[in-house]
Amino acid sequence: MPNLKQLLNSLNIEADYISLRSVYNKSVNISVRNEILEGVTSSEDHGLMVEVMIGGQIAYGATNSNLPSDVLRCALKAKQSAELAHRFGLFHFSEHVRPKVVGEYHSPAEQGMDHFKPADLSSLLITLSGVMKIHDHVISRTASFSLTETETHMVATNGSDLKQKIIRSSISLSATAASDKGSQRRTFGDEQSAQSGIERLDKNKLLIAAERIATEALTLLEAPECPSETMDLLLAPDQMFLQIHESIGHPLELDRILGDERNYAGWSFVKPSDFGSLQYGSKLMNVTFDPTVVGQNASYFADDIGAIATREYLIRDGLLERGLGSLESQKRLNLPGVSSQRATSWNRAPIDRMANVNLEPGTSSMEDMLSSIERGVFMQTTRSWSIDDYRNKFQFGCEHAQLIENGKLTTIVKNPNYRGITAPFWNQLKMVGDKSTYQVGGLTNCGKGEPNQVIHVGHASPACLFSKIEVFGGGK
Amino acid sequence: MKNSKVLYEPSSFEIFAKKVFNELLADESLTMTLAAEETLFTRLSNAKVRQITNLHQAFIDYNFIKGNKTLTFSLPFKVSEDDFLLAMKKIKESRLWIEHLPEDPYLVRPEFYGVTKDENLFDLPSNDEMLSFILDLASHVDLAGVFSSGEIIRATINSVGQFHWFKTRNFYLDYSIYNKKQKAVKSLYAGNEWDANALKANIKDSEFKLSLMDRESKKIERGSYRVFLAPSAVAELLGTLSWGGVSMGDHQRGNGSFKDLWEKKKKLSPKFSLAEDFSLGMSPRFNDRGEVAPSVLPLIENGELKNFLTSTRTANEYKVETNFATDWEGMRSPVISTGRLARDSILKELGTGLYLSDLHYLNWSDRETSRLTGMTRYACFWVENGEIVSPIQDLRFDESFYSLFGDALVDLTNYSEVIPNTGSYFQRDVGGSRVPGILLSDFKFTL
Repeated sequence: MPNLKQLLNSLNIEADYISLRSVYNKSVNISVRNEILEGVTSSEDHGLMVEVMIGGQIAYGATNSNLPSDVLRCALKAKQSAELAHRFGLFHFSEHVRPKVVGEYHSPAEQGMDHFKPADLSSLLITLSGVMKIHDHVISRTASFSLTETETHMVATNGSDLKQKIIRSSISLSATAASDKGSQRRTFGDEQSAQSGIERLDKNKLLIAAERIATEALTLLEAPECPSETMDLLLAPDQMFLQIHESIGHPLELDRILGDERNYAGWSFVKPSDFGSLQYGSKLMNVTFDPTVVGQNASYFADDIGAIATREYLIRDGLLERGLGSLESQKRLNLPGVSSQRATSWNRAPIDRMANVNLEPGTSSMEDMLSSIERGVFMQTTRSWSIDDYRNKFQFGCEHAQLIENGKLTTIVKNPNYRGITAPFWNQLKMVGDKSTYQVGGLTNCGKGEPNQVIHVGHASPACLFSKIEVFGGGK
Repeated sequence: MKNSKVLYEPSSFEIFAKKVFNELLADESLTMTLAAEETLFTRLSNAKVRQITNLHQAFIDYNFIKGNKTLTFSLPFKVSEDDFLLAMKKIKESRLWIEHLPEDPYLVRPEFYGVTKDENLFDLPSNDEMLSFILDLASHVDLAGVFSSGEIIRATINSVGQFHWFKTRNFYLDYSIYNKKQKAVKSLYAGNEWDANALKANIKDSEFKLSLMDRESKKIERGSYRVFLAPSAVAELLGTLSWGGVSMGDHQRGNGSFKDLWEKKKKLSPKFSLAEDFSLGMSPRFNDRGEVAPSVLPLIENGELKNFLTSTRTANEYKVETNFATDWEGMRSPVISTGRLARDSILKELGTGLYLSDLHYLNWSDRETSRLTGMTRYACFWVENGEIVSPIQDLRFDESFYSLFGDALVDLTNYSEVIPNTGSYFQRDVGGSRVPGILLSDFKFTL
């Protein structure tokens, strides 16, 4: 890691504010399919972003060289761009959008890259793949593990000095069963990325999960299509994560509400005047932005411009309170926001992002919810997702579903999908599961921004029951 | 002032690679794949600069083989002594790691696929000049999007002597403009040669289309309608098809969407032909292994599936023939053949129905039956008796490729449009597609 303070002092550039943010990222991924090692891929990526503010105009330069001459060249380019853009600037900020921060954060993971033993991992994954071989129809059995270690260091002319080291890992399993009746796929773990290391691997738990998904994929092959009708919909946490992400997280991003994302990810149905007045969902709905949850995927001490992370309610008792927006967006809209200006790495400017966006648990047990349903369906695990550019009309598909009839889980059905419109859907939230149904998850692949960026986010949710939702199956 | 900075020359990569190759042991081989760029990214909103970033980056992916085992690693490339030290450290680590790993029965060994150099380096005005021109020109409209400009390199070299080099200098303005009702028109101005008049004409054309969006939006009820999909909408469909639809590996593993087409239980329309066609010139023909794909590979010909994209690894596993696809087995340079529908006949032939300029956020709703869902976006109109009546409120569709490119396909336009990839996750994309518009007798909207 370069000495950033020395580099910053050596730049000798006139500007209102300059920061250097270096990112050193190491990752490894190991994957197995049908008991054959498919690949071991590792990566080291280091680079540095210079941020320059002149006359309220911010500009960036990024390089994966840490040679002082290259960093200076990069800073001069950023300065030149800030001067050019000043004439065309969308908003001229002050130094208040770059608070001084001094601090450190270490994720709670115990075993990072130093503990990675490819032979042990490949052996475990081959075993897991083999466990899924319960029938000739299970034609594809995959198991993979990934581990990343990211060290970020930011220093700035306002005295900021922020160091954060985050280790994340995820393990994914999938089983695809195929016969003359079609094919069905079940997965485990895709939505469970977390700030934990190799110590998270619990072989016994994984063996049970592997066998379960293979069995379920086989069962789904024989299952009837999910019926097409309007009925109660009970969603498991591993589908709620997506529901929260697409229909709460994205529409509440202030840069979308401002229109910065219109050309790519889209706008939002939420208007600035909706904060404090829009009944987003039923009174059972409480959603927090919380980068302080220990071990959740997108926890941190401060975001990439130095705003310190705090837990905030976005939606309380169904009422919209606050958006997901940085100090820059807050200034432009004159609205409160959160600490969420984050960049995918050293080579992209930080933008408004989710971190951990969580639906708080309610008071209903799983039994309470099931017994309240006369006719409904219980869906699990994201399979497909699509939503419009204002985040209104969505259609999501799941891997597995089971009908609920007169309070009991009955027939397993395949290819379940449901569709709706965001605010009416959340206002049909009828029951929220208690802590016994609550799960914490994390996604690795949230895409957004021009230029494009992909980032880690976290979601947590109990199981939730929605009334009168349009569900349907697959087929022609 | 021209952009003076020149990204790496082939020799800087070649000299470094050969230095690394010299350190390999007898049972080892190595393929190195370079992706480098020098880019200006300008994020625009309200025809103003929201964020501006100058980026210089270069990475090398190393595919290391020892005996019958393999692994890959990626490192930054700084053209400094550090590169060699870091590469050697990783090679030493790889030797330790690989010792305890199982053999790879489908191993793809590096081969000599020749030496090629392909550079498209037209002179462009400086980034500052192009950006200033755009922002002055668009100052009277509400424009959002991104302007990107600079050089991109893709190269691959291996320890048995193969070396392919692709370098291009290009730009794109990927934008949409908005009226006061938040209705929008999307466009793209891109290329290797800057033509200020062409850009002016492009924005003027968008403004004209936007004027049609001033009318009150019509709410369309769910149901099936006659539809025209403009080329940009058809390109979105191809994007989804690349997600497992034309991959031999996905087909073999039960994740494909054209099983019935492959088994000849179903056919698409005889009017529909799709090929991977590198004569488009936007993407290198070589893949990360340096394998050079056929210049034209028919995928679907007159409605019948001719080839899946097949990587050599997939070929080794399933005992089929490779066509040197990437390991991902997605399309890099797809081209759909044109039909007979003339530009000035589109509305007349559509009659009463929907004219859709763009589609958004597509995904499979039932991959097995080739069914996908998505939204209408931007300039989409209700048309009655061959006349545009009004813009529409956005609609969700759920439809099968067997209908889109099959039973419902009335005709394709007799012209096509080149649509460059403007993606920039991790790095600026290369490649693009050339597609016509399509007229459909039946297109199902569900929400």
